[in-house]
This record gives sequence, structure tokens and C-alpha cells, in this order.
Amino acid sequence: MKRKIVIGLAIYSIVFLSAGVYVIRTIRNSTASLDRLITLHQVEILREHYLLEIKRVQSDLMLKDTEYSRAFDTFVTHVMGMGGLIETCFECHHSPRGVERLNGLKRQTDRYKDALSRVLTIRANTARLAAEKDTAFRIGEELIGEVGEMIAFTTSRLEENTQKAMSEIERTKYILYVLVALGPLVSVLLGFGFISGVTRPVKVLLESTRKLKGGDLDHRIAGLKDEFGEVAASFNEMAGSLKEQMQKMQRTEQMMVVGELAAGLAHEIKNPMAGIKVAMSVLSQEAYISPVDKEVLQKVVAEITQLEVLMKSFLNFAKPQKPRLESVNANQVLNTTLTFHLKHHVLGSGEGGKIQVIKELGELPSIQADPTQLQQVFLNLFLNALQAMPRGGDLGVRTCLEEDGKTIRIEVSDTGNGIREDLVGKVFQPFFTTKPKGTGLGLALSRQMIEQHDGAITVANRPGGGVMITILLPVKAEGAAA
Amino acid sequence: MRKRWIASIFCVLCLPLLAACSPKEPPPSAKKPSVEKLQIGLIPEQNLFRQMERYEPLGEYLSRKTGTKITFKVLPRYGNIIDNFKSSNMDGAFFGSFTYVLAHAKVGVEVLARPVALDNTSTYYGMIFVRKDSRIRTARDMKGKRFAFVDKATTAGYLLPLDYFQVHGIPDYKGFLKEAYFTGTHEDAIFDVLNRKADIGAAKNTVFQRLANDDPRILKELVILTRSPDVPENALALRKDIDASVRNRLKESLLTMHLDPGGRKVLERFGALKFIETTNQDYCVVRKYAEEIHLDLATYEYMNN
Repeated sequence: MKRKIVIGLAIYSIVFLSAGVYVIRTIRNSTASLDRLITLHQVEILREHYLLEIKRVQSDLMLKDTEYSRAFDTFVTHVMGMGGLIETCFECHHSPRGVERLNGLKRQTDRYKDALSRVLTIRANTARLAAEKDTAFRIGEELIGEVGEMIAFTTSRLEENTQKAMSEIERTKYILYVLVALGPLVSVLLGFGFISGVTRPVKVLLESTRKLKGGDLDHRIAGLKDEFGEVAASFNEMAGSLKEQMQKMQRTEQMMVVGELAAGLAHEIKNPMAGIKVAMSVLSQEAYISPVDKEVLQKVVAEITQLEVLMKSFLNFAKPQKPRLESVNANQVLNTTLTFHLKHHVLGSGEGGKIQVIKELGELPSIQADPTQLQQVFLNLFLNALQAMPRGGDLGVRTCLEEDGKTIRIEVSDTGNGIREDLVGKVFQPFFTTKPKGTGLGLALSRQMIEQHDGAITVANRPGGGVMITILLPVKAEGAAA
Repeated sequence: MRKRWIASIFCVLCLPLLAACSPKEPPPSAKKPSVEKLQIGLIPEQNLFRQMERYEPLGEYLSRKTGTKITFKVLPRYGNIIDNFKSSNMDGAFFGSFTYVLAHAKVGVEVLARPVALDNTSTYYGMIFVRKDSRIRTARDMKGKRFAFVDKATTAGYLLPLDYFQVHGIPDYKGFLKEAYFTGTHEDAIFDVLNRKADIGAAKNTVFQRLANDDPRILKELVILTRSPDVPENALALRKDIDASVRNRLKESLLTMHLDPGGRKVLERFGALKFIETTNQDYCVVRKYAEEIHLDLATYEYMNN
């Protein structure tokens, strides 16, 4: 949107700048035309003035030696004035052809001045004087004809240029009218485009918010772009997160109910079951009980023991114990679990193929954690891995410190058959299990404990087969709260 | 003319009496010398208007340097200058050599300075010339021909031909020639012969040479028959009663203008290297020449007919 606004403003500015430049250029052209007209008028006036000066000198010449003769000084002043005017013409800019014509006019003027000078200075007989006067007059008339031609030419050019300038000014006027009319129209269109570009996404967002408020958590915004697109993505993400949180809350509530129910049941069942177990144990040791019955009774006792374990798991899940944090080295806990518990309880009694443990333990800093809970989590993961490889395989254990230096990573992998992709997201749900005798609480308890340590646990199928469980735990300073 | 002289002398003699009668009003002829502005006359050595154009930059320069407004006034005839001095309209003039001698003799002007031409000469001489194809080579060949003089108040344009005719035993040229007229300028005398308007002409060599530089026909088609002695080039002279300080400033400005960059530019346009001091003594040659022709300067009728 920001880019669109910038582009819109740039287009708007360019349009107005172009219009401004065009208007200025048009006005400048019109002014230049008017300047040309004024110059031509000046030239015309100058030439007419020059013509008048020549005619005045001709008049002085004709009146010479008559009773109306002008004073000599006046005559000279008039001739000098005439000569000065032709020099003025050269001050204006002319084309080479114009300069050539002016040079011709100047030469003609000089000839005229020479002839006038002769007339003024010569003292001779009447015939010679008359001849000189006639020569001067004739040159003067030629000059008048020449200047007259130039005036006619200037006049025709003036008319032509006037018409051209007037039509140009007229055109400029219409263009200005059009621009004056188009300017607001363009502004309105651009403004409308700009406002609708902002209000439409806002309206969509508002409607979506209302739907979300109405409980439609599945509603998603589509079709918005740019910054509004980002807002829509955040909105969609928020809606998704909200839905997930809602589901989590629902699940938590369910779990709380289940937990309370389980705890109640466990409390109610535990004592009678203990009595039954003791009774069955005592009964199985009676002499009159046949070996077959004894075996049955011992199986009952074993089932009751299994039920107690299950009850304990229920109680742990329903009322999780708060972790007792202390400085722990995760590698050490892993080693202990592998060395004592796992080996003692499981590896030693492998049914099928051989289980090979592959350890890649990196150097880890101490973390604040409950070692018992960690051990329980690791044991769960190891047991799951071993159960996933009934015919043997590789149990991978890898640890490392993340690049940020604030998290440790623990990976437990197996080379079993892996988990169906559609079930991957459900393995941490309580009571979910793929095993015939599983309680479905192992991974759920593990996640509960890891989350109590502000950590995270994820599961994924490995590309080469098998499953990899990844645990991320924060490295906290000693004394920091969990 | 004689009557005018007598009237003038009478007026001069009566001036003290008139002054005594009305002491508060100065006599009209006793014009107070102006120091704010000087009007300088120009003789029509060349085309009247070119003459004005040639001198105008000099006038502007001298006005700037002396603090006195100097204006020029071109006159249609050489003799008009002397008339203007008589009527006190003019404060000074660039005189031709013979005009100065006449003006000095008649109205007592004093010469200050004259230019040195680009060829480093400060004198000129008169020439009589004809067309090469005219077959006129001697004074006798001139019989029945048309003669273009310049002005009766010029050395080159009149004294020289007068001397020439006298030397060759022709006391009255008017009866000898078919037509004699005065062109008024040296230029026109030269062009008239060149353009066959006249058969014989007289003019000064400096103008002849200047025109020849622009028009090659002059040297190609004209032939010089004789020449006069060298005489001083046209010089500036002022009335006697001009204030001495003004006179000195003007003279100083003229004599030093070639030392000033601005002055050198004006001199270049004027067609001179510098101005040099000129005195009355420099004109002895002209007076001697006039004496040889038996001219009485005091009574010489300088106006053209």
C-alpha cells in the first residue's frame, strides 16, 4: 500500500508537474510570440520613422535655395538623424539575409549623404547645381522606394505573425480551460482511487473482525495485498492461534475433568484394590490352593500391580508435580538413564535383534531442571524407541547447544517403522497410543514435564525411516524461576 | 565687403561709449568668453557628415578631459568659419592652413595643435590632377576645360591652381577655362575628375591618398601634374579671448592624449598618431606662398562666387 501511495503521489505529482510545465511553456511561447510582435512593430515604427526622416531630408533638399529653405545646421541635423537611424537598425537581431539587405540600405544611405554633402558644399553654375540636386533627389527617391518595400514586407510579416500569435494565444486559452477543468477531475479520480484503495481493505478487515467476534474461528481473509495483505496474514494467523488456544483450553478442561475423575476413581479404587491385592497374595500362599489356582492368583496380583501403575500415571498426569529445579547436565542424565535404568530394565532383556546405541553428545552447559523428571522423560522416549524396534535397530541419542547459546537440543531417534503421517500430530494427546498395551500417557506426560521446564518437544518421521523426538530446553541461570 | 569692415571698426570704436551709456548691460558684440562650453567649427575637408562622425569622438574625449563641453559644427564652406568668428558664434575651429592664415589675419585666432598622420607626417601638399586618358599634361592643355577647385580659402584646392596658372602665364583662369567651380570638399574635387564631371581638379594629398586606399581607380586613372609646397595639416585654433586656463587645458589634453590608452583609441579612430604643438610660425610657408601669388590677405575675398 505504501508503495502504491508513493507511486500514486508520484503519478499525481508528475501529472501536475507536466501540466505546470506545459502551461509555463505555452505561456512562454505566447509571450515570445507577443515579444516578436512587439519587435516587429518596433521595426515597423523604426522603418516608418526612417522613411519620414528621408522624406524630411528630401523636403529640405527641395526647399534649398528657395525662400522656404531650412537653415544649414537644421539640414545637417536632419541628415545626421537619418544616418543615425540606419545604424540603430543594426542593433536589432537580423537574419543574414536581413543584414545583407540592411547593408544595402546603409550603402544607399551613404550614397545619399554623399550626394547631399555635394549639394550643400558645391558652388558652381546653375546647370551643375541643378544636376547635383537632381542626383541627390533621385537617390533619395530610390531610398524611399527601398525603405517603402521593406516597410511593406515588415507589414505583411507583421500581419502574418499577428494572426499566428493570436491563433496561438487562442489555442493556449482553450488548453488552459481544458487543464483547469481536467485538473480537479483528475484530482477527484485519483482521490477516489486512493480512498477506495484504503477503505476497501479496512472494510474487509472490519467484517472479518466481526465474524471472528461472532465465533467464526475458521474465517480467513483472502485477496488483500501489500500492507493490508500483511495485516490479513497476521489476522489469519491470529485466528488460527485463537482456534488452537481454544482447542487447547477445551482439551485442558477435558483433561482437568478427566484428571479429577481419574484422581477420584484412583482414590476410590486404590484402597479396595490394595485390599484385593493383599488378599490375593495371602490367598495364593495358602497350602490348599492348587498350583493352577496359585498361578491364576499371581496373575491377578500382577494385573492389580499393572492397574496401580496405571492409577499412578493418571494421578501424575492429573496432578503433575512441580519440578524441583537444580543445576543439571543433560548429558549426565542421559548417560545415567541409558547406563542404569534402560540397560538394566530393557536392553538386558531384549527379545529380538540387537539394539545399538549411537551417542553423539556435544558439550552442554548446565541447565536448571528436575533430574528425576528429565530421567522419566528420557526413559519414556527410550522405551518407545525400543518398542518401535522389536527386531533390533539403532537408538540414536544426540545433544548439542543451539547457535544462539540459549537453548540445548536433545534428539532421540530410532530406526523403526515410524508413525503414520496423519497420526503424527496426535502422539502427544493423552490416551492416544498405537501400542496394544500402551496407556497413551507416556508422551503426554513427557510433554507436560518438558513444558513445565519452559521447553518444547516435537516428533517427526526421519527421512530414512523411524522417528525422531526433539527436545529443546532453555539454558537458565541458577536461581531463575521455571 | 569693405563697407562691412568699416562698419565693424566703427562699432568697435563706439563700444566704450556704449558701455559708458549703459554700464549694466554688456554690449551685444562683447560676448563673454564661455568656459563651460566651446563650439568648434569644422571645415568641409571631406563629406560633411563623415567629417562630423570623424570629429565627434575627439570632442567627447576632450570634453571629458578638460571639463569643458566641446561641440563641433560643420560648415558648408571654408570661408564660413571666418564669418562665424566675426559674428562670434564660434570659439575655435580646425582650420586648413590657408584658412588659418586668413582667420589669423582677419580675426586674430591663435593656433594650438595639429595632428600627426599615421604615416608620421603633420603636413600636406596640394595637387593638380587630371585623368590619364584626358591628354591634359600642361597648363595650355587646360584651355577650354572644366576645373574643379575646392574652395577659395584652401591652399591645395585654390592657391595651388592660382599659382600654377600665374606661373604658366595665365592671369585670368576664368576666361581661359570653359568652367571653373568649387566642389566645397577635396573628396568631391577628386571624384568629379575621376567620374568625368570635371577635366582638372585640385585637392590635398592626404585626402587623395585616403580615397586611393579605398578606391584603386584613383591611382590607376588619375595623374598628378603638379604639387604645392608642404603646409601644416589642419590645426585647432581658438579665439584670442578664450580663457587662458581653458586654452591651456585643451592644449595639454591634445598634446598628451597619445599617452593615455583612451586617448590612443580616439586617435586611432581619428586617423592620427598624436597632436603636436603648432605656432603661428609654422604657417610662414603659407604666407610666403600667398605673397608669391600676390594675394593681400587683409583684403582677400575668400568667399566663393
